[in-house]
Amino acid sequence: MKLSIDELMKNLREREEKVKAAGGKKRIQAQHEKGKLTARERIDLLLDKDSFVELDMLVEHRCSNFGMDKVEAPGEGVVTGYGTINERLIYVFAQDFTVIGGSLGEMHAKKICKVFDMAMKMGAPCIGINDSGGARIQEGVDSLSGYGQLFYRNTIASGVIPQISIIVGPAAGGAVYSPAIMDFVFMVKNVGIMHITGPDVIKAVTGEVVTSEKLGGAMTHNRKSGVAHFAAENEEEVYQMVRKMIGYLPSNNMETTPSIECKDDPNRMEEELLNIVPTDPNKPYEMKDVIKYIVDEGDFFESHPYFATNILTGFARLNGQSIGIIANQPKVLAGCLDIDASDKSARFIRFCDAFNIPILTLVDVPGFLPGSAQEYGGIIRHGAKLLYAYSEATVPKITLIVRKSYGGAYLAMCSRDLGADQVIAWPTAEIAVMGSQGAANIIFRKEIAKADNPEKVRQEKIDEFQLKFSNPYEAAKRGYVDMVIDPRETRPRLITTFEMLSTKRESRPAKKHGNFPV
Amino acid sequence: MRKFQIKVDGKVYEVEIEEVGGNELSAGIISAPESVVGKVEEESVSQKAAAKTSPAPTPAKAPVAAVAGEEVAAPMPGKILQLKVKEGDSVNEGDILLILEAMKMENEIVANASGNVKRINVAVNDMVDTGDVLLVIG
Repeated sequence: MKLSIDELMKNLREREEKVKAAGGKKRIQAQHEKGKLTARERIDLLLDKDSFVELDMLVEHRCSNFGMDKVEAPGEGVVTGYGTINERLIYVFAQDFTVIGGSLGEMHAKKICKVFDMAMKMGAPCIGINDSGGARIQEGVDSLSGYGQLFYRNTIASGVIPQISIIVGPAAGGAVYSPAIMDFVFMVKNVGIMHITGPDVIKAVTGEVVTSEKLGGAMTHNRKSGVAHFAAENEEEVYQMVRKMIGYLPSNNMETTPSIECKDDPNRMEEELLNIVPTDPNKPYEMKDVIKYIVDEGDFFESHPYFATNILTGFARLNGQSIGIIANQPKVLAGCLDIDASDKSARFIRFCDAFNIPILTLVDVPGFLPGSAQEYGGIIRHGAKLLYAYSEATVPKITLIVRKSYGGAYLAMCSRDLGADQVIAWPTAEIAVMGSQGAANIIFRKEIAKADNPEKVRQEKIDEFQLKFSNPYEAAKRGYVDMVIDPRETRPRLITTFEMLSTKRESRPAKKHGNFPV
Repeated sequence: MRKFQIKVDGKVYEVEIEEVGGNELSAGIISAPESVVGKVEEESVSQKAAAKTSPAPTPAKAPVAAVAGEEVAAPMPGKILQLKVKEGDSVNEGDILLILEAMKMENEIVANASGNVKRINVAVNDMVDTGDVLLVIG
């Protein structure tokens, strides 16, 4: 029997409608009541209007265990496809909690892998929206394999295309590792949950009672663990944040960073920059103020704003060109480098380097944080990441020393010796092997001890050391600092310097890969 | 079972302490150490329940009975330079509570929650270590 074209079309529409209906009205309502959106609503908010093209709508699972042959899972619990953000190609997948809990089975994983493979071939960012109950247990080892396939692709795609994960539901057990390998994790407060073992397992094994929000909620991972880079109040906000971030990034590792028309005067002089940084090295200040006066329209898109806040990382633009910024924050932990700060900034530097984003480093650092907790925690191997990441990076690197830069931390913060292309200092800079107090106590220990009035001699020696070394000129004499500038001129100076560096080519010896001190 | 001799007002008491299990703390039960001295009224007291306290009771810092609220801990070792609030003051999240001099920086320690200052555990010129609870906001 031959069907007419009308009948064939009707059949196609019915199939499509069934998939679009997802888990049905009741489950969609339940999803909304939890303050969550459906997979398709999420994609619509993320991508440009009407740009989404869905793939693999008609994929079905082939599991027959435990009555699964009678279970229909429209769309296999995940919506996949491509579209645009500000007219640039983006691949996307969104797990659909309304369809058997968004659980990940063999075909669910295959759909996700397909968009990853396409994203890599076409060289476009891939964004994952996670809302899943976990592995589809009925599918046994096939569902485990699905996770493995994902981890593998995340790794192969790392450094090739930007990968962004948005957590708007549970991501438990194996599901957490795909986001962890990706470049940036966004979480929505009171909606996104990530943990390896849930509260029930923890209670059974250790007796510890903890709520899921406290264990793996957005603020836990933004503040404590550093697993997530961004926290949003609600879903509407999170998709706007991701759209904004994409604007700073190239689509792949072969492209240069996008440049937009700059509405801010590139020659803008800032009187305020004379006053933000106190000349007294004991006084803290807000480093974000310095950044805001320098970058285009004062817009600093901060990554990891709640984690290891003694160092700042984020994106901004100079004359329309996106850059990555790493800056010490004297307001927190005196701006010391520690384990978390090293971790946070090293990963950010490597992201920038992988995607050709020039790096600006703002320095005001007294040293590495002292203490047994840091030593036992392995500050040596963690701090090494920062040195490694800066040395390895071949993108244009400018270092601006605004005040303190002492000892090992001076080296770590993208010093000339780690390959900074230009080191610029303000007259307030103090570049020395250590603070003048400590240095004077060591160098002049005998003289101070022998003196009739040790305190007076100590102070004299401190002042002597301060005068000689606590400035940028000793370093400039040796060429470790290229120029000392008027702070007011910082913005135009940085813009012209980055322009000068824009054609930079630096090659490294051929190797499989270095042995990053993880 | 370990034996200790404790001298109170010139009188020597023998105390036996038995450690029960290793990792009681992970159970999330941290009771304030019971006053050891109070129980030494009899000549010899064997305290079998002692294991619920931390293994080596350090009465110097322990007597701070748990006050419910958000604890503000020292982020690094240093010296208290200045207190900006007193007990009973109401504070907003982000307000400066005290100045901790550490790493040659006058670090501003700010409120991690809004509420009233329930207890201040430190005074000006006190030396503090990482993690010491400086004050409690409730």
